Amino acid sequence: MSYYMRLALRYLWGRKLRTILTTLAIAFGTMLIFGMNGLVPAVEAAYRQQLMQAASQVDLTITGETRSSFPETALDVVRGTPGVAYVSGSLVRPVVVAPADAPVLPDGSRLGTIVLSGIDPETAPQVRRFRAVSGRLLQPGDGEVLLVSESLARKASLEPGDRLRLPSAAGVATFEIVGVIAGEPGAISDEVYTPLPVAQALLNQAGRINTIEALVAPGSDVQAVREAALARLGSGFKLGENQVGSELQAAVEMGEVAFNLFGVLTLAMGGFIIFNTFRTVVVERRRDIGMLRAVGASRRAVIGLILTESLLQGVIGTAAGLCGGYFLALGMGAIVGPIWSQALRLSLGGPVFKPATYVLAIGLGIGVTLVAGLWPAVSAGRVTPLEALRPAEGEASWKPARRRAAFGLALVVVAVLGLASGNLNLASLGAVLFLAGLVLVGPVLVRPIAGVFGRLLELVLAQEGRIAQGNLARQPGRAAITASAMTIGLAILVALGGMTTSLESGLFRYIDQSLGADYLLMPHSMVLGGGNVGAGPELAEAVRSVPGIAEVTTVRLAMGRIGDTDVQTIGIDPESYPRVAGLEFSAGDPEEAFAALAEGRALIANGIFSAQSRLQVGQELTLQTPEGPKTYRVAGIGMDFLNAKLATVYVSQENLARDLHETSDILLMADRAADADPAEVRAQLERIAAQYPAFSLLSGDEMREEYKQMYGMAMRLLHLLMVTLAVPSLIALMNTLGINVLERTREIGVLRAVGSTRRQVQRMIVGESLLLSALGTAFGLLGGLWLGYVLVGALNATGFKMSYFFPYGGIVLAVAVGLVFGVIAALLPARRAARLDLLAALRYE
Amino acid sequence: MAIVETKELTKVYGRGDAAVTALRKVDLRVEPGEFVAVMGPSGCGKSTLLHLVGGLDRPTSGRVALNGQELSELSDDALTRLRRREIGFVFQFYNLIPVLKAAENVALPLVLDGVSPRKAQSQAQLWLERVGLSDRTDHRPDELSGGQQQRVAIARALASEPALILADEPTGNLDSRAGDEIATLLRRVVDEWKRTVLMVTHDPRIAAYADRIIFLKDGTVVDEAHLAGGNDGAEKLVRQRMEDL
Ligand SMILES: Nc1ncnc2c1ncn2[C@@H]1O[C@H](COP(=O)(O)OP(=O)(O)OP(=O)(O)O)[C@@H](O)[C@H]1O
Ligand SMILES: [Mg+2]
Repeated sequence: MSYYMRLALRYLWGRKLRTILTTLAIAFGTMLIFGMNGLVPAVEAAYRQQLMQAASQVDLTITGETRSSFPETALDVVRGTPGVAYVSGSLVRPVVVAPADAPVLPDGSRLGTIVLSGIDPETAPQVRRFRAVSGRLLQPGDGEVLLVSESLARKASLEPGDRLRLPSAAGVATFEIVGVIAGEPGAISDEVYTPLPVAQALLNQAGRINTIEALVAPGSDVQAVREAALARLGSGFKLGENQVGSELQAAVEMGEVAFNLFGVLTLAMGGFIIFNTFRTVVVERRRDIGMLRAVGASRRAVIGLILTESLLQGVIGTAAGLCGGYFLALGMGAIVGPIWSQALRLSLGGPVFKPATYVLAIGLGIGVTLVAGLWPAVSAGRVTPLEALRPAEGEASWKPARRRAAFGLALVVVAVLGLASGNLNLASLGAVLFLAGLVLVGPVLVRPIAGVFGRLLELVLAQEGRIAQGNLARQPGRAAITASAMTIGLAILVALGGMTTSLESGLFRYIDQSLGADYLLMPHSMVLGGGNVGAGPELAEAVRSVPGIAEVTTVRLAMGRIGDTDVQTIGIDPESYPRVAGLEFSAGDPEEAFAALAEGRALIANGIFSAQSRLQVGQELTLQTPEGPKTYRVAGIGMDFLNAKLATVYVSQENLARDLHETSDILLMADRAADADPAEVRAQLERIAAQYPAFSLLSGDEMREEYKQMYGMAMRLLHLLMVTLAVPSLIALMNTLGINVLERTREIGVLRAVGSTRRQVQRMIVGESLLLSALGTAFGLLGGLWLGYVLVGALNATGFKMSYFFPYGGIVLAVAVGLVFGVIAALLPARRAARLDLLAALRYE
Repeated sequence: MAIVETKELTKVYGRGDAAVTALRKVDLRVEPGEFVAVMGPSGCGKSTLLHLVGGLDRPTSGRVALNGQELSELSDDALTRLRRREIGFVFQFYNLIPVLKAAENVALPLVLDGVSPRKAQSQAQLWLERVGLSDRTDHRPDELSGGQQQRVAIARALASEPALILADEPTGNLDSRAGDEIATLLRRVVDEWKRTVLMVTHDPRIAAYADRIIFLKDGTVVDEAHLAGGNDGAEKLVRQRMEDL
């Protein structure tokens, strides 16, 4: 081990508590970034799993460009392409099995989403190899029978002869399993196969398929045949399997950015603490450093020593953060997994850590530490050998500099631009810059603010209060940097508090607005497109005919494509939908918008989509459909709760049927007549719902309550995270107070020598600490309130409409935290100051 | 050739009204193998002189040469190397790095100079033995007495085999017995190990161990005395001269 390494380790070891606390700050930030980024791929994979078909070995796979279905006649077009030998069409869709009908899995949970393929028993084996492991394959003339993949059969203990109930457009269908087939290598999803006509009936898609597979005649050029087939089909088709939609990508990315924002803020905090600590270290060790220089350590060696120390902490902190992040991802997975499988009927896999995630987490963790250690290291390099022998002079470099303040002001301005850009990534960078700017501007504001608080303090601590105030005013730069630890911690606390409060109330308003019906027939997956099987018109009819039901409205769903974005296209009835439910509009007039939907090809875009594509009311958009491109006019911007996170447009059900051939209802909402008996109505609805296992009946009140509780829990978790963020700022405050005492050792010695009691010295230190934390709290509140306001604005710009809520609770908490921290942080240094050996202090020349 | 030679060495601290002239045109020669003490009232510029000779600080005007090498011509890195190889320092306080054991402190200049850790360690061991601390090699500075710490500092100053030892009040913080031990050790440094010692002190009793004493007042050399052994007489003589100043 090199000598420097040993020296660095010794120094770190000599201050165990501080080293651990500082390292913890880095570990914490790295943990958040690593853990959350590890969880994101698992979430993506869970979605992808159900939307991706097993990659097959066929020569040619064609699907609809929009992931929607197309007529079977397309098969003939491909079959007529020269060079094509065999062709088979299929209808492939994820299907959520109703919980009551789902087989129990070994881990005690129930089977959620499976991939159902309707295949042609005659032509399918010509293009793909099907091999029965047990039972038989499908035969022409088969009715409601299923083949299950080997992996699913094993997992759910299914074998030929068993029965499986699947939801269907007509309610429910019972299938008999006739065979188990060998899975294709690499197949990840739980697959079942049924004859094509059966699948078409089940999904309300008579005569339609969504996948064509073909083999090319031996000797033909595969690529040429592919292109020829595609050309003959005309527009609306593409080569390759259906992939996870980009509409989902947007939601996942937004979540990722939010967590990264949090992680980056935490790391910035950690970096600041490292910076603060090493400033302390350099002051504490000025004599050691001077001595090293006197006996022949070069400037570079000294810089190297300090950097080695910070790097060691960075490496250890990052390593701990990676471990912590791994367990965080596991733990979050364990908490979120069950909620997911319940709300979305999807199973969440373990965390996936991609190389890029490692690079990001390690790079940030170590990078931040190095950057934070650089300045103190360079200033350590400037320590001359003479300083080993000279009296401490205080820190000249922390005098309030106008230039520095101006630079800070410039940073704040840049930060505002970043925050105002509406890009969350820029906004998070802006947040960091803003805090940095605040720290630089701080010193100029110390004197006036210290004056105000000092007067208050005099009431409590009398004489010592005045001395404390004088001490601060004498070294405004140092006071500001000490207070800034507090400022940053509290600013983050208050900003996030404001953001979460606003988010929560925003969400609650969406829930009330768009799920405001008395009764809801909800599909099992909260993501409407996530494998829910819609119902035919009979269900809505049945609900409508229940005595005491005043109004019914339904929601239908198909996938469309606008430009490069896959969009959920939701079909509503423009007449009844606004009466039973409704959208939260951010642009356009609701009445006119719904009227426009009824009249022709018009759509209402939701916030996230309109923000992505920068839409304006009145603008015309081209929707890719199996019928070719169709022009829709944007009639308004508005959103509902369930689809707030996905790129979505709302059109009339009439247009949805005409352009995207979707007529099944995926969500039904009903209002009760004023004079009807709730119990009676409910009982009737229960009876209907029982025949449609794909739906569960919920009363509006129950369901809104459930959602609110769920979000309430999530928010509390977030608050907990925020509080943990405050801890590092306590460490920083303690550190800098420590320097304060250290730098004034001699002064304190003199005070004691001329007759100050230990208590008086202690009161002076506590007074100073309180003043500092008051400063920090004041800055933190100001900065945090503003930052929160702008962050909410940035979120708004991404299409999530909500108004800013003043975080009263957060402010009270921040003030309390500030005061308590002020006292706690002072305890150790105060004790140290009071215990100071008088002679040693005076000798401390 | 003189090991230390200064020409019109002048040091002014501060500027304008606040300027303090700590040294005024000091000419000084120290020959190899000499033990020279610098004495004078507080604030007369003794430490300043030592710092300039050791290359810890730069003069306002005038020159310092060590073994004929002009210090003002050296870069910071070259000065650092020179301190490492040619000079050993002993100060009144804060002599040792608190987190390093005695032996590690002694090995420090060698390690800084790129000597292999094993060799540095054995060299450190040797010098600790010579200053009579072979049983304290693994102690931290805070586990040693003041006199022991100072002996570790002397061992460290000698470890890199420098020609010149600079000591600023090495006994200032010690009682008279420990002070005598350190002074005796410094005498051995000159007699036994053939080094040159330039030492600043207040204490006539300690100064009496030197071969030659230089008296400083208000930044100038005002007197000089050669001592020819025989401690008792020397001490009295030095006291007398000090009172005259
Ligand atoms: N860094 C400095 N800045 C300003 N003046 C200084 C500085 N260092 C020393 N002085 C002044 O230079 C003069 C000589 O100081 P020096 O430390 O050399 O005295 P000294 O002889 O070592 O005194 P003592 O015996 O008290 O240690 C003094 O007047 C002192 O105030
Ligand atoms: Mg001195």
